[in-house]
Formats: sequence, structure tokens, C-alpha cells
Amino acid sequence: MTYQLTRRVVLGIYAVLVIVPLVVVIFGSLKTSQDLFASPFALPTNWQLDNYSKIVGESGLGVAFRNSVIVTGCSVPLTLFIASLASYGIARIPGWKSGLLLGFIVLGMAVPAQANMIPQYVQFETFGLTDSLLGLILINIVVTLPIAVFIMTGFLKTLPKELFEAAAVDGSGPWRTYRSIVIPVSVPSLSATAIFLFVIHWNDLLYPLLFIQDAAKRTIPVALLSFQGEFLTDYPLLFTGVVVASAPIVIAYVFLQRYFVAGITAGAVKG
Amino acid sequence: MATTLTSPSQARGPEGAADTLAKPKGRNPMAPHPALWLFPIPALVLYIAFFVIPTIQGVVYAVTDWDGFSPTAQFVGLDNFTTILTSDDLFRNALSNNIKFMLVVVIFQTIFSLALGVYLTKNTKASVALRSLYFFPTILSSVSVAFIWKFVYDPNFGLINTVLGAVGLDRFQSAFLGNDNQAIYWVAITQVWFHVGQMMIIYVAGLQQIPQELYESAEIDGAGRWQQFRYVTLPMVAPATAIVMAYTTVQSFKAFDLILGLGGNPPKGSLDILSTRIYAGFANSQFGYAAAESLIFMALIAAITWLQRRAVKASNPDA
Amino acid sequence: MSEKFTIDRRRFLTGLGALGTAGALSACVGPTITSRGGATAGSGSGASATLLGAVDAKPATGTISFAHWRAEDKAVFDTLIATFVKANPQAKVTQDISPSNDYQSTALQKVKGGNIGNAFTAFRGAQFVNMVKAGLYAGLGAQPFVDGYFAELIKAGQDPSRAQMGLPYQLVFNMPIYNEDAFAKAGVTALPEDWDGFLALCEKLKGAGFVPIAWPGGEPANSGQLINAMVMNNMPTDTAFADIEAGTRKVTDDWFLLTLKQYQQLAPFFEPNSTGTASEPLQQLFASGQAAMLATGSFHMGAVRKLGATFPINLIAPITVAKDKAKYEGIYNATFILGVNTAGKEQDTAVKWLQFLSDPVNAAVYANGTSQHLTVKNVDYTNADLKHTAPWLAKKTLLAPRFQFNNLDIRNAVEASCVAVVGGTAPEQAASQAQTVIDQKRK
Repeated sequence: MTYQLTRRVVLGIYAVLVIVPLVVVIFGSLKTSQDLFASPFALPTNWQLDNYSKIVGESGLGVAFRNSVIVTGCSVPLTLFIASLASYGIARIPGWKSGLLLGFIVLGMAVPAQANMIPQYVQFETFGLTDSLLGLILINIVVTLPIAVFIMTGFLKTLPKELFEAAAVDGSGPWRTYRSIVIPVSVPSLSATAIFLFVIHWNDLLYPLLFIQDAAKRTIPVALLSFQGEFLTDYPLLFTGVVVASAPIVIAYVFLQRYFVAGITAGAVKG
Repeated sequence: MATTLTSPSQARGPEGAADTLAKPKGRNPMAPHPALWLFPIPALVLYIAFFVIPTIQGVVYAVTDWDGFSPTAQFVGLDNFTTILTSDDLFRNALSNNIKFMLVVVIFQTIFSLALGVYLTKNTKASVALRSLYFFPTILSSVSVAFIWKFVYDPNFGLINTVLGAVGLDRFQSAFLGNDNQAIYWVAITQVWFHVGQMMIIYVAGLQQIPQELYESAEIDGAGRWQQFRYVTLPMVAPATAIVMAYTTVQSFKAFDLILGLGGNPPKGSLDILSTRIYAGFANSQFGYAAAESLIFMALIAAITWLQRRAVKASNPDA
Repeated sequence: MSEKFTIDRRRFLTGLGALGTAGALSACVGPTITSRGGATAGSGSGASATLLGAVDAKPATGTISFAHWRAEDKAVFDTLIATFVKANPQAKVTQDISPSNDYQSTALQKVKGGNIGNAFTAFRGAQFVNMVKAGLYAGLGAQPFVDGYFAELIKAGQDPSRAQMGLPYQLVFNMPIYNEDAFAKAGVTALPEDWDGFLALCEKLKGAGFVPIAWPGGEPANSGQLINAMVMNNMPTDTAFADIEAGTRKVTDDWFLLTLKQYQQLAPFFEPNSTGTASEPLQQLFASGQAAMLATGSFHMGAVRKLGATFPINLIAPITVAKDKAKYEGIYNATFILGVNTAGKEQDTAVKWLQFLSDPVNAAVYANGTSQHLTVKNVDYTNADLKHTAPWLAKKTLLAPRFQFNNLDIRNAVEASCVAVVGGTAPEQAASQAQTVIDQKRK
């Protein structure tokens, strides 16, 4: 039974490694600096709630939250829409051309943002799209189109051809087929991809850091990063920022867990 | 007014696409509708305009000495590339850091996520609960992860050194990120903690698809647990392994956020990787040079990804 | 069959056309590229600097954005803004603050965009030089309020032709700050005047149970503050580091090797794991009284007070040579270079905001609220720390050498060699590694 033993030990240790830092952070946000350094693991001796009021009030996290909601709220549905259109087209176009098209788009997945960011910055600046939430929405869509198309095309290809052909025989054109068949059938893939995109867009740091100049237009990750400069020594305050910034996505995770998980596997194993 | 199969009006397919109702009876309903070509267009337009064109522009900047704010720049041919490849210690240092980082992350993340996946394949309550726990770090923002681990690694007040001190293991205390030789490996460990749950899920999906009969017949043949793993599990999850390795590799090149959060901006030499090197070029007003570095960066990723795919195909010919 | 072909070809041609337009479009963006050896860009340094005409006395109107990196000064600026708006009811000032590292990396591009920073600031050194080259500063030399500054101190805000483009506002001392009570407790009666004396001081502090020097070796931005004092007397010229960047001096020269060896001698007196520690935990260490010296600068006095330090604080510079050879007593820097953005609108209002800040009364509010000296004349320092350290304004101090570097890669390489030495690398090896990078990065 050494297998079972090893298994339990490994799982136990790793569970500790995940839980402990998170617990320290949560408790730490309610402590003073001295308390945190003295006993990081213990419950706070003096529950300090003013970190939380400071964070929401002074730090601009509230404004950043609104900006994040706007940007992610627009970019996720738009990416889904555009990518699903493209996937449907690619999945149904026969022959080598669709493979070429798919390959062309999916190539973008392997290119990290840092490789393109300088020309993209210059381009966006010329068009006046820097320092605007619209610019962020646009770049979010562009950067995640490859993976969204990849996942959804993978999914559509697993559907039986007869589904589409039957619709065509009925006299339904592609747009109607898209609306009345493809979308309903793709709901699992769409929702999984939606959550996947949500995590990526919500947590994106590079583009907001690069493009946004006005502090009133920052998103949450950038606002959180700026804590490092402003609230210098204050680990508890940093941790409060982490907790508040992560709260929305954690809440979503608790309730929509299987979609988070499904998003990772969609298209990954089907390939 | 013929009713032939392919009347001239059909040849102008796209214009007729708007009409979704009665098609001229001649068209073969089983053939893909020409309007399908319209569907990828929005995606293509955005992709080409804001992704492909910047890549092309990057190539253009890379052969100049542009500083990012002057209205003109000089053409310098391949000078930037020669400098980068032959006489830039900072680039070479960033490259070696990036390779070390990538190797550690890919190897450990793949092995560890496979192990966790194997341990948690069944859908028992405990397994599902543990899987959600391990997956949790992935949804945090990289800045949050960086702040958490910054505290963990703090040499004077941080978690690890405090714990080691408390149990009397002082001699194992380290400067962690301050130790120039080790720093990049510590960041690699943080990266693994960050994403191993995500990869584990991919493995679980693949593992759950392995038919139970394969294990049973192997056991009947006298195979022990380890042999079952080697000869049944591993080959069957090869597709998942390929995906995990490819995804982890690209992800490790994107570790920009984590390095900035843990190592500061700009990070010091021991934590400098290619993406932060490029960002430093941007900050130092050396756009042309940084664009050249970006191109080499992309070529490198392409090369590594291609090598990986070949290796996977070689070890698993029928994948 | 032919139907498909027609569509394919049309698609193909459309695609080609699209790519062609794309290519043409992409050329519209970005710089005009001249051939090699062609006329180099004549922007910035060659052309004579445009100076803004003096502003009138009417109240300011419009909204301006004031871009800077001092998040810790936000509250004080808010107070000043309130006063400014009372005198100029039609005007509005918003602060656009980035953390200092981000400001160093991105401010040039952001201010150039014109959306923020109608009035903005720059770090002395590479950032200021590049911003002037980019033509961002609308010259302030013709403004009457420039006379309200100490002429010697605002030299850092001039362009190569000596036109006054910006006004350095803050006067900081990049020298270690020390805890006077800790020194007294350790039995230190007089400040050391040579290197042996400084080492003896550290020994005494260590013996009394303090961490003699808290040094943030893990943070490139602040680990290099100490290097200013370490080289000021080892190479007492105005251009020591500029020469290194130009190539006329090397870090493998004797005087720099000596500096590295002196870092080695200091290593036992730094806090443990100093190469991995950032400045924030060390401010805590200093404020709590465990460290006797904090090797950053006067700009941290305010932060340390906020962390609860109640002891008297003063400045100290390690004298790295014999007493009679010491030319300088300390280091100062004139930074936070104020300017008006050529790419922004409301330049008039921006100038009036700077004029407001240049008024000694308002300047005093800033200085006393943030515990920083200023380059403005006739400021009434009421803050205890500022009064206590005021004698340094009259001492023989050298303008901080580390800001002579225009290329940050070179600066980081030089400072990293000091960190490497503390971490155990041999001085000769650290120096030669740094010199390789310097030679490669030098234009």
C-alpha cells in the first residue's frame, strides 16, 4: 500500500502548499505589519478592518473595478461572437483552404504579447486608441482571437456533418444555420470559452500597463501593481489589495467552477 | 433563362448570400454555401490589422535605429541583429535565464500535473474538492501571485525563512530572489505553483478517457502498477502531454508579469528574461533594437515549439 | 466547378489587395526611415530651444493634468491644488501618478501622447535627457519666476545649449540616513572622517546590537544610492560616471576596484541576505530601531516617520579616503524636474501651476508636508527633520554621480557589480563583467 501512502502524502503536502500562502494573505490583510511579521500564520490579534476601507476609498480600486468590468464585459462577448463566426466558417469550408486559414490564425497563439507590443503601441497611438478603454477592448479581442478560434473550431469539427447538411437541405442559409443550430449546440463550448477568456482579460496586465496613461482608466491588475509604489512597506495593505482584486473572480469560480474547468479542456483533449 | 445547374447568377455567390430563403434550385445543398467565406472576415480583419501588421512593422523597425520618439530614423540593415547575437551580454544573459526558467517549469509542471492528475482521476468527492483547490491559483492575477510570493520569499520577514528559523533549520535560509544563482529557479517554482492546477485538469480529462478494460487486461497479464502506468497510461495521455508541454512552454515565455512583480521593474540581471529585456528596450527609448530582439524572440519560440512537436511525434508515432 | 474557382480567385485577389493596403498603411505609422549614412534627425539638440513667453497675470482656466511619481506626496499636492483652485476658480488640476519604476519606463511615451501631463516631471539623468531630445519640454527659461530658484541648483534642468527647459524642484540627499539615538547608545561621539573611522563606527554599532547598515541590495532602483557616496571621493570629478559611459574611464580602473573592495568590507555590516532585500522591509527595520543606518537617502525620511520612527534622524556619508584627501562631504541631487508639455494644451495654465509651486509660501507647504528640501529660495522650513538636516545645504556636496548615466542598462551594470561583490564575487571579476556590458551598450 505504499502507493496509497505516497499518494496521500503528496496530495496532503501540496494542499498545504496551496492553502497556507492564501490563508496567510487573508489573515495578513487583517493584521498590522508588526503582527504579520511576528506571527504570519496565526489569526490576527487585533482585527484591523481599516485596511479595507482605505483600499476601497483611497486607492482607486473602485474606479479600477468599474473599468475592468467595462473592458471585460465588452471584450469577452465580442471575442466570442467574432471567434464563433470565424470557427463556423472555418469548420464548414472544405479542403485545404480552411486548414490554411485556421493555421494562419492559430499561429498567433504562439506569439507572446511582448514580441508585438512595441509596434502595436505605435499603431494604437497613431489611431488615438491609447489611453482609452476602447483600445483595451480592441487589443483584448485581437490577442485572444487565436485561442478562441482554436477551441471553438475544434469543438465544431467534432459535430456530425449531417447536422449542417440537414439544415442546408431544408433551405437554410449559413446565417440562419449559425443562429438556430450552431449557437445552441455550441453552448457548452461557448460558456467554457467565455470563462477562459474572462480570466485572461480580467487579469491582463501588460496592455493596460502599456496603453493606459490616465489613472482614472486603469484596470484592476495595474491598480494593484501600483500599490507597490504607493503603499510601500505595507504588506498587509498589499494583501488587502490582493483579496479585494481577486474577490470577483473567486466568487465567480466558486459558483461556476465547472465552466472554468471545462474551458481548459475544451479543444485541448479533443485535438 | 436557363435552369442549368450553374447559371451565371450563382457564380456571383457572395452577393447572393444575403438571401437565405429560396435558393435557385440548381445549387447543390450539400456543398458548402459560398457565404461561409464571409464568416471569418471580421476575425481576419481584426487579426491582420492589429496583429499581423504590427508584426510586419516590427520587422521594419528592427532594421532601423529608431528611438521611439524622433520623427526620423536611420536604416541600419542587419546591424541590430548582429549586435544582439554576437555582442550583447545582457541579451545572452536574458536568454540563458529564460531557457533555464523554461526547462524547469516545463519539466516540473508536466511531471507534477501528471502525478496530481493520476492521483485524482476518480470523481470522488475528495478528489473533486482537491482538484478545485489545486486549480485555484490559476484564476488569480499574476500581480496577486507575485505579491503573495514576494512575502513568502522575503529574506528577513518572509514565510519560508520564518518557518525555517522557527524549527531551527536556520542554515537553509536563503536570500531566495537575492541569490543571483538561484533567483530564476525560485521564480520558476512560483510559476509552477501558479499553473500546475490548470495542466492537471487537462491530464484528468485525458486520463478519464482511458477505458478501464485496458488496465484490467494489463493486470491480468501480470503488470504491476508501475508497468500499467508505463504501458497503458503514458501512451494514452500522449496527446494531453503534448498539449501540456506546448502550452507550458509558451506560457513560460510569457512570464513577464510575474517577473516584474517579483523582481521589480526593471528586474535585475539574475531575473531578466527575454520579454523584460524587450520591455527595457522600450523604456530606454531603443525601439529599433527592441524590435529586433522581439523578432529573435518569436523565432526562438517557434523553433522550440517545433522541436517539441517533433519530439512528441517521434516518441509517439501514431499520435 | 467554375463557380468555386471564380470565388476562390476573387477571394485570393481580395486577400492580396487587403495585404497590399495593409502594407501601405503600416508604412504610414512610425518614423520616416532615412538611408544609412543619410542626414541624421536634427530634432532636439541641434535646434534652438523654444522658450515659452512669460504668462500674463490673469487667473488660469481649463483643466490640466500633473504627471509625477510621488504617490506619497499626493495628499500634500491635493492641499496645494485646493489653494490654487481657490485663486483660479476656472482651473482644475488632476494628478496622474505612476509608481516610480513605471514612470521611469513609460512616462516619455505617455507624456508625448499629450493626454496627460500638461505639467509633468522627470527624473534627472536619462529620462530628462531623452525628454528634451524628444522635444517635450516647452522651455521655461523666459519665465520671471525662474529667478526664484537657486541658479546653481537648477542647472540639471538645462539642455545642452544651457537653455532652461525644466526646473528641478526637489533637493534630496542621496546619502545614508542614521538614527541619532542609536549612535548615542552605541557610544558614538563624533562622525567618522575617513574610511577606517567609518569601519570602526560600523563595528561599534554591531557590538551594540544594531544592524549597522540596512542596504536594499535586492532592489536595483535603491541599491545604487550608496554608490554615490562611495565614489564621490574615490574619483572626485564632476564627470566620473559620464566618463565611464563615454568610455574614457573604465570600471576596471583602480579607483573603482577600490570602491568594490570597500563594498566587500562593508558586507559584514549589512543586514543578512542584503542582496535579496528591497527597501520597504528595511524602512521598517530602520523605523523600529533595529538598524542604525538606512543606505538610501533623505527622500525616505517622511516614509520612515510614517512607520513610527520618533528618534532624531540625520544624514551621514561614508568618507572613503583619508581625511585630508576628502574633497566632498556628501551627495545631493536636484530632481523632480518640472516642465510644461509641448504636446499638451492649456500650456498657459500649466505654466501658472508651476508658477504657483515656485512661490516660496506654497513651496514651503510642500517641503514641510513631505520632508524634502527644495531648490526654491527663501523657503521657510518648519519641519523638524528639514531643520535638523538644513546644515547640509551649506556643506560641500557633489551632485549625485549615478544620474550622469543616460543609458540605464549601463547604470544597472555598474551598480550590479557592487551587488555582486557583496554577494561574494571577486571585485576584478565583477568589474570586468560590468565593463563588457558597458562596452557593448555604449553608442
